[in-house]
Amino acid sequence: MKHYLYFSFLLICISINAQTNASTKVSEVDTIFSPKLTGETFIEKKGYKGEQFFYKDWAESDILLSTGEMVYGEKLKYNGLLDEVIWANTSINQQFKLDKLYVSEFWLKNAPSAIIHFKRINVGEPTGVHRSDIFVEIGVEGKVSLYIQRKISIVGEENIYLNGTQYILESIGAMPLYYIKLPSNRYLMISKIRRKALLKLFPEQKKAIIKLMRANHLDFKSEGDFIKVIDLLNKEVF
Amino acid sequence: MILLKKTFILLVVQLVALTCCNINAQVTASEAAYLQTDRTAYIAGESVFYKLYVLDAITKKRSEISKVAYVLLRAANSNPFLKIRVKIDSCTASGSFELPDTLASGVYQIVAFTMAMKNFGEQRFFHKEIVISNRFDKDLDFKLMNSNSIDSNKNKLHNIGCEIKTNKTVYGLREKVVVSMGKTNSKANVSVSVFEDPKILSTDKSIVETLNGLLVAQPDKHAINKYLPENNGKILRGRVIDATTQKNISAATVLLSCTDTIPNLQYASTNSNGLFQILLSDYYNGKELFLTIKDMPANQHWKIEIEDEFALSEKWSPSLIFDNGNSNGFIVKSQNIVYINKSYQLNNDLIDKPISENKSICPQLYHCSVSTVLPSDFVPLNDFPEIAVELLPLVRINKENGKYNAHVIIGSPVVSNNNHPAIFLDGVYVDDINKIIGLGSEQIKKIDMLNTERIFGDLVFQGVISIISKSNEIVNTTPASYSLRLKNDIINTGGNFVAVNPNSIQNKDIPFFKQLLYWNPNLELNGTNSTNFEFYTSDNTAKFIIKVEGISEDGTPISASSSIQVNNQINVTDK
Repeated sequence: MKHYLYFSFLLICISINAQTNASTKVSEVDTIFSPKLTGETFIEKKGYKGEQFFYKDWAESDILLSTGEMVYGEKLKYNGLLDEVIWANTSINQQFKLDKLYVSEFWLKNAPSAIIHFKRINVGEPTGVHRSDIFVEIGVEGKVSLYIQRKISIVGEENIYLNGTQYILESIGAMPLYYIKLPSNRYLMISKIRRKALLKLFPEQKKAIIKLMRANHLDFKSEGDFIKVIDLLNKEVF
Repeated sequence: MILLKKTFILLVVQLVALTCCNINAQVTASEAAYLQTDRTAYIAGESVFYKLYVLDAITKKRSEISKVAYVLLRAANSNPFLKIRVKIDSCTASGSFELPDTLASGVYQIVAFTMAMKNFGEQRFFHKEIVISNRFDKDLDFKLMNSNSIDSNKNKLHNIGCEIKTNKTVYGLREKVVVSMGKTNSKANVSVSVFEDPKILSTDKSIVETLNGLLVAQPDKHAINKYLPENNGKILRGRVIDATTQKNISAATVLLSCTDTIPNLQYASTNSNGLFQILLSDYYNGKELFLTIKDMPANQHWKIEIEDEFALSEKWSPSLIFDNGNSNGFIVKSQNIVYINKSYQLNNDLIDKPISENKSICPQLYHCSVSTVLPSDFVPLNDFPEIAVELLPLVRINKENGKYNAHVIIGSPVVSNNNHPAIFLDGVYVDDINKIIGLGSEQIKKIDMLNTERIFGDLVFQGVISIISKSNEIVNTTPASYSLRLKNDIINTGGNFVAVNPNSIQNKDIPFFKQLLYWNPNLELNGTNSTNFEFYTSDNTAKFIIKVEGISEDGTPISASSSIQVNNQINVTDK
């Protein structure tokens, strides 16, 4: 009995040692020499009522850089108010706003639902004068693609009186914008999910779209339905 | 008690499994190399065509680990005089290098290795001896390899993994030769050489012999984990030491940059042995590298030392004896052929390889918009402090105790205690601000500025000042004692061999003598049918060896050889 216990303990120790040593050197190299992230110091602006991040907790994330290189396992948050990616550098314990033009795509991996895939697209501003880079969540990608900008906007103000002083708290909330990329590579933006707006975008496919929605019992009132419709359009219409 | 027994058995099984995992992990980077050259005897000044195979030393299959290999050439008891770095693609690399025409006649050694092989000691490296004769050496009293160290069966023709067939065995001058390579087990990539039999005893080994002769080497205990496999490019290795005490300096940050129109940076921290390693992508090929130590403490005498990746611990001391004269005839003939070809300017065996698209990535310091100042748009200013006062309102240049300091007024929140901006001149991190102080409007083309607290990996800078000079002023600066400048080598590709069709030569009176009739480093065998290739004989009447080396997709080494005789047809007919 004693011997078995002794040998078992010995084997456990050896096993742990074996596991520690079994390192794959090739992957080590990739980690050591992974590209360096660039950006500037970020300090969160306080005084808002509501959440300015798409997902408030730091998410273990992978990043595809504009150089084509990948960076794995960094802690990221997407700030919908600024439309910027915030990086927690755990080595020096500071937060940084990553250079937008350096980030092509990123994957928030431990967000509550599943892996959320964002990418940077270049779209015309609503004024129609300038073009700008924005980060969008990928809804569907195909001949027709649907991208969702997880925009967080100021939706109102709240006045609070304390000791005779008035404090103004800005209320912020999610105001997603939907970008549809047409086969001609043109982007069209919709701010509200409306069946009419979609049918207006595809006048030639109007009948087919209505048929599809009926056949799949899609009432086109939720974001999920919007994604399903675009997905079906790619599969059955385009 | 039964439960305990079961647990014990389970633990034993687990231990065995984990030990296997451990062995596998250790041998991941266990590689072996084989290098085939077009010939084994050359005249100084000729090109050596090569094909390098990098294989897994355990499985003998293609190794997908190393992407860089090193090839060097050395004479007995001397340091390497020819060093080339090659890029490995699908476990192979091919190209050529030119032998210096001043080489003395003698036996030389080619050594080929990868960094991963260094962990197993130099005995794992590939070694091969070649004979080089000087074109003007008429005495030919040089030593050759001791015939006792040569296996007498070595020069026998053999076929392993594939068979070679020719349409004839005896050919006339300038006649087409068709060679058929038999079926192989699976698809294979082989290198083929057809060269004149040098009649010199050779230590040349086939790929099969090399792989079979591999020792089951254990990693060098002192070297294990020392050399990382270069699976993405060359790794620059160096040390930071105290120049006075020669002690290793740990936790020092070494910065690397090179001249460019955009500031670029890479860095590494030294470990407890003072060692740092920086991955050099293709971007750095052929560039001058500027290395320095960040935040160098005052009154310290640190310096950077770079490891020579080609350094070998032991010199090559072969057993050589004076040649008994058998090889003299061949060498004199070779000298004459080279002499004739040079006289008629017929050295057209080489064509440059097409330059592949350079996909190198510059490690930029920032990827955002900057504010730019062009001093030429303003009244000429004498030096940088004047430019800062007049044109750069967010830059402060102070002079304290005879030393200049630069500060950038940061327009956003600051978190770090470091108050130094990153200053770059012509893309290079400046180790001393005094190097830019003397630059005025005459010298400066452009100044880019960032007045935010910047991050690059784990390095934080209080703003960025990037100066681009009109005439690459960084080259004229002297590196600080703790900085280093060195030239990074270029990946060797060499030229491709061109087989000439003698029938295309219009003037039939021009001599056409070749000792190398055919060289193809990448002949693909499809595994199901035989593969043919063809070439032409020259005016050189001799016995020619057809040598094929390679590896199939399933990891079977292929080694085959055959021979043909080239005679003067008139003489044959006469007989």
